[in-house]
Amino acid sequence: MRLLLSIFLASSSLRGAPQPVVLYQFDEKSGAKIVDQSGAKPAVNLVISDLKAVKREASGLRVIKSTMIKSERPPARLISAVKKSGEITLSAWITPANGKQAGPARIVSLSKDSTHRNFTLGQEGDKYDVRLRTTKNDKNGIPSLPSSGRSVKLEKTHVVYTRSRDGRARVFLNGRKSGEKTVSGATSNWDGGYLLALGNEFTGDRPWLGEYHQVAIYDRALSESEVRGLFESGHKPRPKATPAELAKRRSRELFIAQIEPIFARHCLECHDASTAEGDLDLSQRTTAFADAKVISAGHLKKSVLWDSVESDEMPEKRDALTSTEKKYLREWIETGAVWTSETLDPSAHTLNSNAQNYPRRLTRSEYVETVRVVTGVDIFEEAMEMLPPDLRADGFTNTAYNLGVDFKHVEAHARLAELIVERMDVGAFAKRFSRSRSVTQKPIRALIESMGHWVLRGPLSSQDVDLYQGISTTVVATGEGFDVAVGYILQAMLQSPKFHYRIEPKGQIGSYEIASRLSYLVWGGPPDGELLEAAKRNQLYDSGQIKKQVERMLRDPRAVTQSQIFIAEWLHLERLDHLQPGKEKYPNWDPKLAHDMRRETDAFVKHILWEEKRPLSDLLNAQVTFVTPRLAKHYGLTVSGKEEELKRVDLEKNPSRGGLLTQGSLLTMGGDDASMVTRGLFVLHDLLRGSVKDPPPGTDTTPVPSAPGRSQRHVAEKRMKAESCGGCHAKFEPLAFALERYDGTGHYSIVDGFKNDLRQDGEVFIPGAKKVVKYHTAPELFDLLAASQRVQENITWKLAQFALGRPIATSDRPHLYSVHLESTKRGHTYQNVITALATSPLITQ
Amino acid sequence: MNRRTLLRSLAGTTIGLPFFEEMSLAATVKKPASEIPMRAFNVFFGLGIPAPLQKEGFDGVMEPLKPLADKLLIMRGVDHVRADESGINAHFDGASAAFTATRPDGEAKSGGASIDQLLLKEHYPNGQPKGIVPTLVAGTFFRRSRVSRYVHSYKEDGTVAASMQERPMDVFARVFGRIQGVDEASARLKKSVLDSVLEQYQFYSGNRSPLGVESKGRFKDHLDRVREYERRAFQFEVDQNAPDQPKPSELPHGGKADPGGQGIDITLEELTREWHLMSELYALAIQTDRARFGSLTFLAAGERIRLKGDYFYNGEKRYTFDDPGQLRASGDKGCSHEWWHKFREDKKNEQLRMHAHMKMREVAHFLSLLSADDCREANGKTILENAMITISTESGDGRHNDTKRELSGVFHAVTGAGGRLKTGEIIDVNSEGLDVYNTMIKTTGAKSELGPEKRDSKLVDKIIA
Repeated sequence: MRLLLSIFLASSSLRGAPQPVVLYQFDEKSGAKIVDQSGAKPAVNLVISDLKAVKREASGLRVIKSTMIKSERPPARLISAVKKSGEITLSAWITPANGKQAGPARIVSLSKDSTHRNFTLGQEGDKYDVRLRTTKNDKNGIPSLPSSGRSVKLEKTHVVYTRSRDGRARVFLNGRKSGEKTVSGATSNWDGGYLLALGNEFTGDRPWLGEYHQVAIYDRALSESEVRGLFESGHKPRPKATPAELAKRRSRELFIAQIEPIFARHCLECHDASTAEGDLDLSQRTTAFADAKVISAGHLKKSVLWDSVESDEMPEKRDALTSTEKKYLREWIETGAVWTSETLDPSAHTLNSNAQNYPRRLTRSEYVETVRVVTGVDIFEEAMEMLPPDLRADGFTNTAYNLGVDFKHVEAHARLAELIVERMDVGAFAKRFSRSRSVTQKPIRALIESMGHWVLRGPLSSQDVDLYQGISTTVVATGEGFDVAVGYILQAMLQSPKFHYRIEPKGQIGSYEIASRLSYLVWGGPPDGELLEAAKRNQLYDSGQIKKQVERMLRDPRAVTQSQIFIAEWLHLERLDHLQPGKEKYPNWDPKLAHDMRRETDAFVKHILWEEKRPLSDLLNAQVTFVTPRLAKHYGLTVSGKEEELKRVDLEKNPSRGGLLTQGSLLTMGGDDASMVTRGLFVLHDLLRGSVKDPPPGTDTTPVPSAPGRSQRHVAEKRMKAESCGGCHAKFEPLAFALERYDGTGHYSIVDGFKNDLRQDGEVFIPGAKKVVKYHTAPELFDLLAASQRVQENITWKLAQFALGRPIATSDRPHLYSVHLESTKRGHTYQNVITALATSPLITQ
Repeated sequence: MNRRTLLRSLAGTTIGLPFFEEMSLAATVKKPASEIPMRAFNVFFGLGIPAPLQKEGFDGVMEPLKPLADKLLIMRGVDHVRADESGINAHFDGASAAFTATRPDGEAKSGGASIDQLLLKEHYPNGQPKGIVPTLVAGTFFRRSRVSRYVHSYKEDGTVAASMQERPMDVFARVFGRIQGVDEASARLKKSVLDSVLEQYQFYSGNRSPLGVESKGRFKDHLDRVREYERRAFQFEVDQNAPDQPKPSELPHGGKADPGGQGIDITLEELTREWHLMSELYALAIQTDRARFGSLTFLAAGERIRLKGDYFYNGEKRYTFDDPGQLRASGDKGCSHEWWHKFREDKKNEQLRMHAHMKMREVAHFLSLLSADDCREANGKTILENAMITISTESGDGRHNDTKRELSGVFHAVTGAGGRLKTGEIIDVNSEGLDVYNTMIKTTGAKSELGPEKRDSKLVDKIIA
């Protein structure tokens, strides 16, 4: 845990203290330029149109008559940042020249003319006034938020406006609140082409006169205490970061984004704790810096590591680093070789550097559930028949980038929409949203808005309403009535991109998008009325409210089903639908066993995660299971009861069973030959989040069969000794040694078909650990895995990947560590992880 | 060789219609019929011509009809007051009364049959000859809140006579194509559903999309699949003798055409281009004897558009439309509709006049397509002269406080219907619309009448030839 904390803290420190996106100190001595001193690139410098209209003072810039001070180009970085965050803080130290100027007189403005703006901080007589454009305010940023009456004083004043994403807008004067209101909506409609201006509007008719001491703009809503802090610290420029501090910051960034993946990709194969060739272990911070000559922070030429990499001496017998990778390595050493974690993540290189957010099409199961909840129609059978299956990518079938569409999807969506509506009582359905059965403009639009809000998981745009109303007019123009018109509207909604995709605009995520993220995370289906209502009230920007909602949702049986879907996806249990062991090897195989195995795992998951609410890692060693008499017989257990009935079996006294790895649903993954390679790779990849490289080209991967005197354990050990294979196979095959006594169908035996003794001892090397740990029995391995922080963390990652619908990216890591810490503190149950995920920026931002 | 003969004889060659340069027509158009078929069409234009302006004859907004004056009977003083439905929008009442002379029956039904449908039933009790579209309903309109604002063919039970074809391609497909394996009405509704899906995918993959690059790419893929589905599901068999398909319409249709009753921005060039294409396709359907009954709509009742652009008539620039600029308003308050609300008999009413004049130009364009030499039939007269084509509107000068004014003096014009009705005159009929319509219908020998059974009809002699 200490390790995780250190990584998290190191990573989170990257985000640093709040920094303004633009900052003007007005300390230039002369000239027309006012320099942006925020340090952000590109700088947004301002130009004074009429130098005769201003006076440079020791305390700032005094505007004595009407002029325009404006940026040379749109402040793209500021606009983009605020569009994304939905938050802003305007901070201005000013001294007004008089208490009558109005219009409002423009103090700071990001606008186009007198009726088009993103924001304006102005003076309206004896009040300050702030206009902010959102999707709920108009293009002029109205209605505005004024400060309280008579609040303008002709003295140096610190005026601050903050607006948070939940719509809370406040004005502060000299650190004290002077006005507050809700400015709802998103800032996604900000215009990217407006210029920043001080002292006037672009139409030249809203001059503000007075002295500027400092103007700063932030891309987030500063808290009340932060605003007070700004006031108390005054407007003098804070000391700039020293070159050494900047270098350290850069080195830290490089380590997380580039160096850790480079080491994981190129170095750990020979230089981790288990191999440590040349006595160099780069998997730990302490061992990596044990010899100061290997990596000499800040001294490139003294670093042996750089010498060997730069000359391509290392990596030995592997591809050399690319020139870009070398550039990063060089810069990292030169800037101080900051190493943020105690232990390297050996799978760091498998992560994308940036999260790619493809739109998430509903999977087949999500589609079926969404239709069921929204319309009350069960379309499971038809959907499974008509819709192409979703294919696995990166371990899950809900991976968004792989959820493409084919002609068959579109054809099926149309046909299914028809079928769904045919099965609905359209009139009764419409009555839920409107009592009117009129197809004239006002009532039908009201119905479309209300019905669409439910069916499409959020408010419709007026263009959407237009489209659906168009359908109604077309229908009634053929002589049909209300029910038929609504039926066709529903068909259209059921084929809408808003129905089939979870659409999230670029940048800021809105409350309805958060609602959908939560519901599909917890239920695998659409938000219910309560969640939509919370979204409507903008409550889902608040982590306390989210937590409350998620706790409520977790009490719904749909959450249990969703957890079973997650486990089935993670463990790829779909395999069981097509399981056909060879008849020659397994003549007694009953196809019904595959179904029993799936039911066993589902019941086991429900019991551990929901009935007993045990930690997720208990799935690996819990001494209980649920079997039919048929499966019990297959396992060698004794259970009586009806043929299809699942019976709970206590396994405390049965060492051969207990935990997922002893269940047929998993043991069948190795095929008829119970491949140690497949099973070992599963443990490495899916439990330990480890990685190995693919076999070299041309490697003979034909399975070697058992024979008298040659068990699969012998075959594996031989592979591990082979020079070309052993480096990698030694990392994963021992993970499967404990499972040797389970054949390809999960049957337990201590000898194989050739009377070879089957063992269960082996060793495990947890990626990132310092040493190999031996185990003597299968239960010992299961206990080791269940207790492993790496395994627990991996389950969190898997659940997060399932929630996000995309592979984890480097940028997700700080949040993931935080989620894991939070959920582990509370017992690392499924419910804890879901709740921590739901309130993390991974879901809320 | 006249124009229609050219159409009939030039198999597969290009014909010279203004917006149909690329359209080719095969030679299978029916040979000249020795008998002139009964045909009736209703031509509707939105917002109307206030009664005081009708008094100006061809010197006012009716100027564009002057070249066709000898083939038209202009009827003033037609009254639809009986169509007033208390509490219902006057635009709706007036539009419902056009060609039916009855008040609406609910939101999507008229009070009875329209002229064309009554004549269809009377003259083709066993159905029309094979290959003819039973009723062709088409139009360009943007106000869609109630059906009778834009549909103007109704069956006896008050239901719409046929699906509205609102794009040139729809008219083309209806006349020259056939959707495979599905009934047309159902396909039309499914198509409207698919159109909404297409619109949304276009939005999410287009320049105005709020999504990032990866998402837009994914939606573009989806859009392509939806288009593929559209091609496959709604592929229609085109008559082998059909002209080339028209280009897709660039105007908003479906729900986008009426964004919440707020109106749309449109240029005169855009509107005219679509109108001409619709007119020419509709006229072609009549010329080739694919349609004998139906209606054509030039803007809906109470239409809301914000028109801009230079207006030329006979090569002379008459006006520059700029509704939102002149009204100094956006949304519904910036629409040309407002000029009707602002109508005052003692004022110049320039904007209203120019809008009405422009619409008459377009109506005249459609009529002239049926009046050309190539439309001459076995009796030596043109289609325009032989068919009963009624032109009407919702009337009203916009002041909704006076039913009498709203629903009286509704502009009407009608063609000679094969010499049955007078032409070349402007007559103050000063009669109820129901009597006027029934008189027109009676001249064809029809026994049925529009309106309530127990009502005593009054023959309007002055319109009978």
